[in-house]
Amino acid sequence: MRFLLTLLFAIAAFAQLPRDLASIDSGRQTYMGACSGCHGATGEGSQGPSLHSGRVARLGNQALINVIKNGLPGTTMPNFPLADDKLRQLAAFLRTLTSPAVAAPRTGDAAKGRALFFGTANCTGCHMINGQGGHPGPDLSNIGAERTLPQLSESLRKPSARIAEGFRTATATLRNGSVIKGVAKNYNNYGAQILDATGRLHLLQTGEIAKLDIVDTSIMPPVADANDLLAFLSSLSLRPYEGAAQ
Amino acid sequence: MTVAFLFLLAQVTPVNIAASPNADWLTYNGDYAATRHSPLKQITPENAKNLVAKWVFRLDGAKKLEASPIVHGGLMYVSDTNQIYALDARSGRQVWRYRATGAKGSRVNRGTAILGDNVYFSTADCHLIALNRLTGNLVFDSEFASFEKGYTTSIAPLALKNGILVGVAGGGSGQRGFVASINYKTGKEQWRFWTVPGKGEPGFESWGGFPAEMGGAPTWTTGSYDAALNTIYWPTGNPWPDFYGGRRPGDNLYSDSVVALDGDTGKLKWHFQFTPHDVWDWDANENLVLIDASFRGRPRKLLIQANRNGFYYVLDRVTGEFLHAKPFVKKLDWTTGLDDKGRPRIIPEKIPTPAGTKVCPSVRGASNWMSPSYNPATGLLYVVTLEQCDIIIASAKEPVPNSGFRGTGNEGIPTEPGKFYLRALDAVSGDIKWEYPMPGPGVMWAGTVSTAGGVVFTGDDDGNLVAVDAKTGKDLWHFATGRSLFASPITYMVDGKQYVAIAAESDVFTFALFGQ
Repeated sequence: MRFLLTLLFAIAAFAQLPRDLASIDSGRQTYMGACSGCHGATGEGSQGPSLHSGRVARLGNQALINVIKNGLPGTTMPNFPLADDKLRQLAAFLRTLTSPAVAAPRTGDAAKGRALFFGTANCTGCHMINGQGGHPGPDLSNIGAERTLPQLSESLRKPSARIAEGFRTATATLRNGSVIKGVAKNYNNYGAQILDATGRLHLLQTGEIAKLDIVDTSIMPPVADANDLLAFLSSLSLRPYEGAAQ
Repeated sequence: MTVAFLFLLAQVTPVNIAASPNADWLTYNGDYAATRHSPLKQITPENAKNLVAKWVFRLDGAKKLEASPIVHGGLMYVSDTNQIYALDARSGRQVWRYRATGAKGSRVNRGTAILGDNVYFSTADCHLIALNRLTGNLVFDSEFASFEKGYTTSIAPLALKNGILVGVAGGGSGQRGFVASINYKTGKEQWRFWTVPGKGEPGFESWGGFPAEMGGAPTWTTGSYDAALNTIYWPTGNPWPDFYGGRRPGDNLYSDSVVALDGDTGKLKWHFQFTPHDVWDWDANENLVLIDASFRGRPRKLLIQANRNGFYYVLDRVTGEFLHAKPFVKKLDWTTGLDDKGRPRIIPEKIPTPAGTKVCPSVRGASNWMSPSYNPATGLLYVVTLEQCDIIIASAKEPVPNSGFRGTGNEGIPTEPGKFYLRALDAVSGDIKWEYPMPGPGVMWAGTVSTAGGVVFTGDDDGNLVAVDAKTGKDLWHFATGRSLFASPITYMVDGKQYVAIAAESDVFTFALFGQ
């Protein structure tokens, strides 16, 4: 019985991943050296599959470590016989690629980020949190639970890298001569649904539209020093975060 | 005119809701009186054969849609478990989608409410979510019952004055039912009416000491409202445990009842209990339809309900007085009839036993939450009915909430499959004026919508949306959705065109006349 308990304790301890920034950074360095060649610099996948997938997210910590340590026979995934602490650091870094930002360790100051968001950074001109703010940009009330830290970081630093569905910049010239500028909530060859800057929604059909221009560039300016904003946005979760797969 | 101009209109007011349905469909049942009768008359018995599909929209992840959509200003809102979509009601194109990330529970969802600039829906774990109607941006996320304590909900909320009314499930798992009003702007609770009285309150004695916290009497369907009387009418479900009543001797108020509540405070005005001490899991959650009609020679404000226990009821909705009842199914064997107060005389042999007892109607009931509709021009209530019996087995096990225990359960009788009908009842007498038999045997929970054009739409148990003549029940048109139907249809108008829509498993199907 004692042996069994010891064994269980050992397994549990082994499967637990470090949460401190130094360990995660060490894991990132291991990743850049050993993994990024196949899986891409941010785990987006190239020769190897994306590590952002649900399949990876659903792997338990121990299963994830086993795949790295032993490789996947029959695939091009080799084994990486690293030291146990290196494996745990690497797995901890990989978790930040798929677990929500609210669960990830952060460096910035969330309180300062909040002050920026509602103050000088003027984020509320376009974004809303719990009913406070503007309409054209995505609602951020729960963004810490819906995005990973790398995704949020990318959105802040390179807003045009990935534009969420329903937020492309649109200009519709109507047959009656009027021009509607805003974001395209949706569009196809038969119509467009455009939210304009004043918060009015225009449901248009083909016959009403003379010309529709959709631009894949965000109107959001890039944020250079994003750490505090990142910490604030990461903290936004409507419900308590209850942990990733173990 | 483009739909864009419609958005110049002000926010949705209680006055707008009181005028629904018109072009819009602003509540789960379309109107506060739950008649589900639309004044639209573009579609008639003569031209219904020209109905064609206009668009189909698939909700990502949806498996069993049970919602009645609501429509306002050219936007349709349709909800599913823990998510809601806004669609362009002319084209079916998605405008926005909101998912309650992290919401627990997987109970179905029956619909949405709209008031001011917000739309509202409930998550399965009892959070009321308010979203901007045009953008889907979150306004508030307000928990009104504890999932950890076993509460879940499927409720389509009801917007009333400055409150959003919600209810809960729990008749099958031992929670205490309630109706609550949540402020439409702040998300703060304004009042709550418990459907099981606490110690010291009138009605507590009707439980024989059984704990109120486990009593059930859930409030899982949407109530009705009479503005002139400032009265909310809310139907309640079964006492828990469903099939064994030995530990809860008494009538078990206010289970299987209609409670009439003050529109401002939620205080009880009166109640009427359809099935005292229910041991058949019949609930009384069927729609409460408010009509004004001549009853025995004088105009009365009536409340009518085709109850799951097999009787069609007529009450005075001012006083709660029982006026009349009549069976609307043939398979009804648990009572010798009702007394002059509407109390059933129960046949003791129909109380479920450990060996199993055959009872008619079945647990699914003579009707259920599928919505009936009422056409004032014909004076008929159109109600989907089920002729079926069950074997019900009861056991006296110690009741533990959230353990899956319901006092045991029911079994179908393989040699006696159920059969569905759309029946048209004279709303005053309860006489069956015509019926539309469905192919059966099948599983479905589709209800109806009535229109001033003289057409009633219903789902059948073969996945068809069906149009029948409101006067005669004559089959006018059908469309095979290829899905099973678990929702009730609605009708609305945009840019002068009348549409009919129904949610079916994973999709919303929408129809209009060809060439219109």
